[in-house]
Amino acid sequence: MPAATRTYWLTSPCRIRRKDESLVIERDAAPSVHIPVTDVRDIVACAETDLNTSVVSLLNRHRISVHLLSYYGDYAGSLLTADTSTSGETVLAQAALARDPQASMAIARSIVDACAFNVRRVIDRKLLARPYTVLQESIREATTPLHLMGAEGTFRRSAWEVIDTKLPDWLQLNGRSRRPPKNAGNAFISYVNGIIYARVLTAVRLTPLHSGIAFLHSSMERQRHSLVLDLAEMFKPLFAERLLLRMASRNQLKHHHFDRDTNQAMLSDTGRKLVVQTVRDELAVTVTHRALGRPVAYDELLYLDALALTRHCLEGTLYKPFRIWW
Amino acid sequence: MHVIVVYDTAAKRNPKILRTCRKYLHHVQRSVFEGQLSEAQLRRFQAAVETVLDLTYDNVLVYTFPPGTTPVRHEWGATKPAPTDIL
Repeated sequence: MPAATRTYWLTSPCRIRRKDESLVIERDAAPSVHIPVTDVRDIVACAETDLNTSVVSLLNRHRISVHLLSYYGDYAGSLLTADTSTSGETVLAQAALARDPQASMAIARSIVDACAFNVRRVIDRKLLARPYTVLQESIREATTPLHLMGAEGTFRRSAWEVIDTKLPDWLQLNGRSRRPPKNAGNAFISYVNGIIYARVLTAVRLTPLHSGIAFLHSSMERQRHSLVLDLAEMFKPLFAERLLLRMASRNQLKHHHFDRDTNQAMLSDTGRKLVVQTVRDELAVTVTHRALGRPVAYDELLYLDALALTRHCLEGTLYKPFRIWW
Repeated sequence: MHVIVVYDTAAKRNPKILRTCRKYLHHVQRSVFEGQLSEAQLRRFQAAVETVLDLTYDNVLVYTFPPGTTPVRHEWGATKPAPTDIL
């Protein structure tokens, strides 16, 4: 990932305009801001955003993707640049793996295992020890991706129950609910998951992988980047669950960060800003990578994982999905 | 690396310089720009500025800071918000 460029996060309703071969962000509430195009890696628009053809052509020229999150905070879509690092060879190799039931099941198994490992690591090692061994057993017995997802669902349900014991009453999940999220905790998780999905998509676009050919999730679904769903799986606990627990225990999340109705909840404007800031800072946190022997930002981990999968497709190097190692 | 650019140009060339700078850096004061650039971007920026300047009259200062460091910033008076990536 280029080092000198940044992700821009739009947290209030705005219009992106092109001016002097650069970008201007116009907002109702605040004065407009010029942002230098050369400084932008991609844009995550968390609020309503207007843009037009001339902006899109400028973004395209600078290879900047825009990710859009909907009103409720789930992923709404992306404006991807036309130009990608394409490689037919990689896509063919990836498709061959996906077609081969044994090979794709192996990848799907390791993804589910790594995801559960991370969930357990983040939430509670002791309480989830038993569900985790049960899951590992069912992973071994599973014969189709559907079985795997079922097993993962069971594990996740126990995980949600454990996480509730660590949250204050008003943030408890009471089971996962989406579209729209039923309560504050779910709204938070949905929102962060949406952001992570967008980040993984950016990472995948930097590799020659095809974002529609997946191993665990169904490749057949239209208009979805199934591969991104696969890869995002391991990273969701690192951000969503982990940040929820942390922010709850530090009392950073307050009632006014959420707009709540009887049966649905979403982040308020201030809440959205706070969450975006937290995720942005978290993405910049570095850990020492054992194989690379240098500090690596969380954001780069997504890219490294996508690269590892590329190598698995092309060279047959065993793909080990991301596990929290620290 | 962190870069601060200050320019002092003839009034008729100011808008041109301003436009070039805006492509690469954040506008922090009338003739002051600030931001993160890579070595390559800095060179590209310098080349772009040179095409606009009259080198016998205009003057541009570029301060760079070692990679990984950011200068401490103090501000007085009517302040614009500092450049940020959360808008």
